[in-house]
Amino acid sequence: MQLNIGSSIKRIVLLWLLLFFMVPVSPCPAKQTLNARKILDRVDDLFRGKSSKGIMTMKIVTVHWTRTLKVEWWSEGKDKSLMRILAPKKEKGTATLRVGNDIWNYLPKVNRIIKLPSSMMSASWMGSHFTNDDLVKESRMAEDYTFELTFRGKRDKGEILEVTCLPKPDAPVVWGKVLVVVRSGDYLPLKILYYDEEMKLVRTMYFSDIGPLGNRTLPRIMRIVPEDKPHEMTEITYEKMTFDLALPARTFSIRSLRR
Amino acid sequence: MITVAAISLNVAVLIASYGLMDGMVKHLISNVTNMVTGEVQIHAPRYLVDHSMYKVVKNPTGIMERLGSRSIYGVARSYGYGLVACGNKSAGALFWGVDPAMEKKYFDLAEHVATGRYLGSVPRKEIVVGRKLARSLNVKIGSEVVLVVQAADGSLGNDLFTVRGILKAAGDRIDRDAAIMHCQDFEELFVSGGRIHEIALNTRGAVSLAALEQLAAAAAPGTDVKSWRQLMPALSDMVNFFDAGMWLFGMIFFLAAALGVMNTMLMSTFERIREFGILKAIGTSPWRILGDVAAESFALSLVSTVIGGIIGIGLSLFFMHKGLDTSIFIPGDAAVSVSGIAFDPVWRATISLKTILSPILMMWFISLIASLYPAAIAARLDPVKAMARV
Repeated sequence: MQLNIGSSIKRIVLLWLLLFFMVPVSPCPAKQTLNARKILDRVDDLFRGKSSKGIMTMKIVTVHWTRTLKVEWWSEGKDKSLMRILAPKKEKGTATLRVGNDIWNYLPKVNRIIKLPSSMMSASWMGSHFTNDDLVKESRMAEDYTFELTFRGKRDKGEILEVTCLPKPDAPVVWGKVLVVVRSGDYLPLKILYYDEEMKLVRTMYFSDIGPLGNRTLPRIMRIVPEDKPHEMTEITYEKMTFDLALPARTFSIRSLRR
Repeated sequence: MITVAAISLNVAVLIASYGLMDGMVKHLISNVTNMVTGEVQIHAPRYLVDHSMYKVVKNPTGIMERLGSRSIYGVARSYGYGLVACGNKSAGALFWGVDPAMEKKYFDLAEHVATGRYLGSVPRKEIVVGRKLARSLNVKIGSEVVLVVQAADGSLGNDLFTVRGILKAAGDRIDRDAAIMHCQDFEELFVSGGRIHEIALNTRGAVSLAALEQLAAAAAPGTDVKSWRQLMPALSDMVNFFDAGMWLFGMIFFLAAALGVMNTMLMSTFERIREFGILKAIGTSPWRILGDVAAESFALSLVSTVIGGIIGIGLSLFFMHKGLDTSIFIPGDAAVSVSGIAFDPVWRATISLKTILSPILMMWFISLIASLYPAAIAARLDPVKAMARV
């Protein structure tokens, strides 16, 4: 009975925060020179825009349960986002608003808005398939890591490029090594492998179903598989996405949580 | 006379302090076991490693029935983590699903409520919370709180509850994160389908710990059975440490007493050296003299231990009934907690045959041993030389 309030809460929070994946800035690189930095920037900026909205489904598979959530979201800049669950029925209408470091949840069942403790923002989501860094991604790989193009050629039936990233000594990152594998040509990511400080593979993020999304061409399915629980995964499928749209300021207000 | 006084005091102090120490240890143990922990707990294997909601005790009713047939009773509990929110404040909590009637019957936590009341036997979406949790959420009796948890089926469990009681200090862990609710409310909130994570057995000392462990292991095969000594190793160590400390403490007293007895007997032997010489001269055997001196010393300790025993029992009785209020030594609110276990600031002694007889018997033995040296001197006297001494 000696416990930490660990993974479950974090998993709850994760459900809420998954959205922060898709955050800011700048469209595709115009000219593609073979440059590791460009590859990393491209991967970082894939889902970033001044603002965005869309609908995604999130499938979470654990050994104990499997569930699929359908979520609608709006985001602006780095730190404003609103997400609302459309399905399943039990959670329909449940909404999460994040502005900076504050997070509010609206729970339709009890018709209450609650504010999450800020300590949960900075926690890492152990036990879930995502880490804090995934969700509130403000860092840029090209700045936090030293990188090198380590492979170029055919692998798994396609021309690919592989960039190996090692963290800079004082970079605020949790990984010991990150391998980024992209398609040669348009530099769209195929998979990213995350290693811990002992250079052990911790988890793999797969990207697939490349196609039009919003006005871009993007991988529409993203899947994370933890290495220690190979039978578990979280998969996000983007169904609709619009970038750089004008959102009214009240979109990110507590009032709009209830709607 | 001085020796009698010294030994009496020795015995009195030892009886009283053994009583106090024994009282403290018993209080500690019963505090831990009777409050919530119980003497023995049953969990699913490896539940204690990660407290996973999915590591459940299989067939808890069967286990309880088997133990009940041997007059061993306890409670079944479920646990789950989540969030409690009130107004703009929220905090993580460990939710307990309990059967309030059983908790009241076998454990003391239900009586350990500072304000409000413990849960009733009907589920009414009420919770009883630890005092630090109540403070950090700023809730009072009757406050409405929102609970948010990840349910066993992965969905988001949330509901409104009312605060029914706030616990007294019950150890740091409970104070900080316990939120106790009726097991049926728990099942609904967590969609837990009657998952039981812990069975806590408490016989209040009626069954010895080793026997209880064996019976529990037999009644619940394939589970992880642990005694409070394993569940709370820090406390177990502390109890062992106290016992060793008391032993050492006693040894110092006995050594002092032994030196006192030896000194007295030496003095009296030398004072009566001529008398011993005469005894030897008229043919008294050395063994007889040895026995005489030892008997004298024994008589001395007998008188002392009777006096000391009476004073010691008196002191113990006083400490048993009045107690020693240690709160005057402790600043701030007197919630004394030792390794996370709440402690009553009034320290009471217990009286048992062990606490009274062990110092007395030990003292008799010690004074006999201590008298041997002077007795041997007297016994081995050369009668001529001895009688010649002035």
